[in-house]
Amino acid sequence: MKDLTIYVSGLYSGTNPQPGVGISRSLRQGFPGAKIIGVEYSNRCSGIHWQDFDDIWLQRPWDELDLDAHAREIKKVLDSGAYWISSIDLEIMWLADRLPEGHRNLLAPSMSALLKVGKPAIPAHDGLPVKIPTFVTTELSDWELHAFCREHDWKVWLKGPYYEAVRTPTWGDLQHYRQVLTSAWNTEKLFLQSHVTGYEESVMLCAYRGELIDAVQMRKRDLTELNKTWAGDSSPVPDELLTPLRKIIRDLNWTGGAELEMVRDAADQRWLLEWNPRFPAWVHGATITGNNLPALLIEAASGVRAATVLPEAVEFTRVVLEIPVLPEFPLSPLPEPLGGAIGHSMKHPSGLLQFAQRLTTPITHSNGNGSNGNGTTQRSELNPIPETFIYDLNRVDVENLQTPASIFFESTAAGYFRNAAKLAADLTRPELKVSGAYSIKTNPDERLIRLALESGFFAEAISLLEVKKALAVGFRPDQVILNGPAKWWRRETLPDAEFYSVFCDSIEELERVSAEVASGGMRTRFLGVRLRTPAIASRFGIPIDTPEVFERLVNAVGKLSRETKFGVHFHMASSRVGVQHWWHLYESMLRWCGSIEALTGRLVEVLDIGGGWFPEDIGRNNAARYRRAVAMIPEFLSGVRQVISEPGKALAQPSMALAMQILEIRPAGVGGYSEVIMDGSIAELPMCFYYPHRILAKDDTSGDWHALGRGKTMLLGRLCMEHDIVASNVELPKAAREGDILVFCDAGAYDRSMSYVFGCG
Amino acid sequence: MYSDAVSEISEATVLSVRTNGRQTCVFDTWKDWHPSNISHHSKLCCEIARQWITSTDFSCRAGGDVLAGPRWLRNTFKWGGTTYPIYWCDAVRKHNLDCGTLAALAHEVFTMRGVKSFRAQFVQRFSRLATESWRHSWKSSGASMQWVNGALIYHEGCGVEIRTGEIKVWDASAGWWIDPRPGDGYGALLALRLSAPSGTPDLTWGDHAIRPNTWQNIA
Repeated sequence: MKDLTIYVSGLYSGTNPQPGVGISRSLRQGFPGAKIIGVEYSNRCSGIHWQDFDDIWLQRPWDELDLDAHAREIKKVLDSGAYWISSIDLEIMWLADRLPEGHRNLLAPSMSALLKVGKPAIPAHDGLPVKIPTFVTTELSDWELHAFCREHDWKVWLKGPYYEAVRTPTWGDLQHYRQVLTSAWNTEKLFLQSHVTGYEESVMLCAYRGELIDAVQMRKRDLTELNKTWAGDSSPVPDELLTPLRKIIRDLNWTGGAELEMVRDAADQRWLLEWNPRFPAWVHGATITGNNLPALLIEAASGVRAATVLPEAVEFTRVVLEIPVLPEFPLSPLPEPLGGAIGHSMKHPSGLLQFAQRLTTPITHSNGNGSNGNGTTQRSELNPIPETFIYDLNRVDVENLQTPASIFFESTAAGYFRNAAKLAADLTRPELKVSGAYSIKTNPDERLIRLALESGFFAEAISLLEVKKALAVGFRPDQVILNGPAKWWRRETLPDAEFYSVFCDSIEELERVSAEVASGGMRTRFLGVRLRTPAIASRFGIPIDTPEVFERLVNAVGKLSRETKFGVHFHMASSRVGVQHWWHLYESMLRWCGSIEALTGRLVEVLDIGGGWFPEDIGRNNAARYRRAVAMIPEFLSGVRQVISEPGKALAQPSMALAMQILEIRPAGVGGYSEVIMDGSIAELPMCFYYPHRILAKDDTSGDWHALGRGKTMLLGRLCMEHDIVASNVELPKAAREGDILVFCDAGAYDRSMSYVFGCG
Repeated sequence: MYSDAVSEISEATVLSVRTNGRQTCVFDTWKDWHPSNISHHSKLCCEIARQWITSTDFSCRAGGDVLAGPRWLRNTFKWGGTTYPIYWCDAVRKHNLDCGTLAALAHEVFTMRGVKSFRAQFVQRFSRLATESWRHSWKSSGASMQWVNGALIYHEGCGVEIRTGEIKVWDASAGWWIDPRPGDGYGALLALRLSAPSGTPDLTWGDHAIRPNTWQNIA
């Protein structure tokens, strides 16, 4: 026992601690006489002062450490018979690289094992009753990343190659944190992973040369602000998990500790988030419950029997303790805050970020390759640039445009309208007619309104001025739907004719319009309401999130004249709330409509649904979801005879592009980042903050248009406005020069209708 | 806690344990209580309220699994004293609802989701300090305090079938699933009774075999 010497690295003990202190506490219980030496790379890691260490091996921070010399020293330590338990993922990877044959006293996995447990794919998970949350590498195009976020309702995590995960609920957040993590870790190899809602639990294990020594399951019972364990309970690992785990450990020839971090969802499915190649920070919590895995690991490696310690409890928790500072490691002064900064920039005091950049092992494992059965790395179904864009672009004399200039993609627009009309016709049944409607506000360009008319669409207007425009293009009043909160603005322009439908935004408006219709002051074939279902942030529609308002609505609908046909309008931008959530809201709306029907005896006869769709989202798999949505209407509402679909920007967005000219190319600066000044701006492309635009550049030699990839160039608008950045992280063609034209696609919806004149005198 | 609209009082089966030679039934005080009930006026007012609860539940579930706990109920209604009888149209307008009404609402919600739900009655141990605090805070509500007996309290929730014959137990007042592991400290669940149609076979909750319609000790 006296000769047992154990080195334990990773002593950071903040609110997101490393496990070194916990390992030392457990080892001290198992081997009271062992010499335990703490290894750290910063004297700011407070664990160096912990009482269980006999000595501290304090190295210089990773960014200034001589890695070759350090590797030789560790080898010497191991050769002397001491054991090394690493608690630092990067150190484990580095040691696996430096000691490819391993060492009998190095209690850490080999590089081949590490590659098989790399996140997010975790290839070794095969056989475990777990799933991997869907993920994509951020090396995909921005267009594809945005699609991934939409598909997962923006409940996604941007994760670094080794550490760090950030929620990115908007496109702006994603762009910002991608830049932060890319700079921090010096790599574009990040990944996005969908969030899984549920309860977090882990399995900790220890193994020696492929033999699973012991494992314990822990459920988090209290969490820190970063969702790290603060309290938990332990229990035996169930056989369904333990049996395959034993085989996997054997296949990996695993040595050392490990933690499988999982989430258990409401349906009782486990999702594997990470396989950490070390003991977790709560390791001593398990020891308190009678599962001293660090001691068992040393026992297996050394043959020295660990002292048996009875469990103190089945649950554990943490407290904050003040302990004396060792006089040989006095506290360092706080660094001076940077000018104007708040705080002292104390993150990663041991220089782990710089260490990551010094690692020679490529981060190939981080993103995995191919499918692992549950996750995906590619979104091959998305064609980044539709052929019709190029066709339409080739019919424009781009070089002679007065830029910034909007370009109408005529055949593209016609194609989208044609497809939407065909889909409506396909879905129409004798008992249920499906029609499209064009939301004029999306882009009031006459060419689009005319296409809508020619495609058999309704015109959806939010003001009487929009009605006027629709009528001017050729719509009849009975082809017009009125919507929105201020549809009676400029009342003097109200035509003396029958509208197709009017959807009221409040109960007060419903009562008012209903009275006008009853008195003959207004005519409409359908009168209805817009619903704002609970649990969604919106300013539109009748908020039925309180029983009082719902009862008022029921009473108001119940009082509608029997001659008035009733309808319901529902609209949410799927690009904002996410695609899956939109479908949930849709079904939710159907259920509310069913309740209204049941309570009022009034049938919903027209259903008007709007989506704020991206074209790919509604059209994917031959519009399978949309078809299913229409098919399910009769399950809830037996009286619907007319469904009106407002695809909104799904039609308008791809129909126009914006051509900009390069005014100035500035030389690359720090880190190779460069700035380019364009003659366009956020005034012409106001939606650039909300979604990526596919950008095309012409190859001078071939004359072909190519999409810009991601790179280190920022395209700055012409305005003297700090936030006038029309695109970030793009790769400018090498041959690009001042005067070249870049074409920003996907600019036909609100980019066009909400553009404004700015900085033009 | 006290059940209204119950025309028949049935005697519940009692399982007891012997400790130190003495018969101890922590549930004795409440052994004849029925799960609380929300009454219906048989008019539109109550049907509107009921529809509002079930439709709101679907909206608030946000696409989640039917077995996800309806925590939105507890976010909408604070826990507090309820006087009985309580009708649907009253319940949805209250700021405070007691555990019985919250459990009745949760039971309705689970059932409307198509999940098999059983009303559950509990006896829990807290401390005299806690129960005195509740006595004080409930004083103004006019609600009965018979649910408190020393450091013990009567409480209600739902048992939800997650697989055939296997349940989880939802505490609608706390907004969490009760841990089936036995405990004996502050807040420990000491006894439970699950109401189920007669003939329902025994159910499993963690390591416990739960006999329906029977009070049984858990700790």
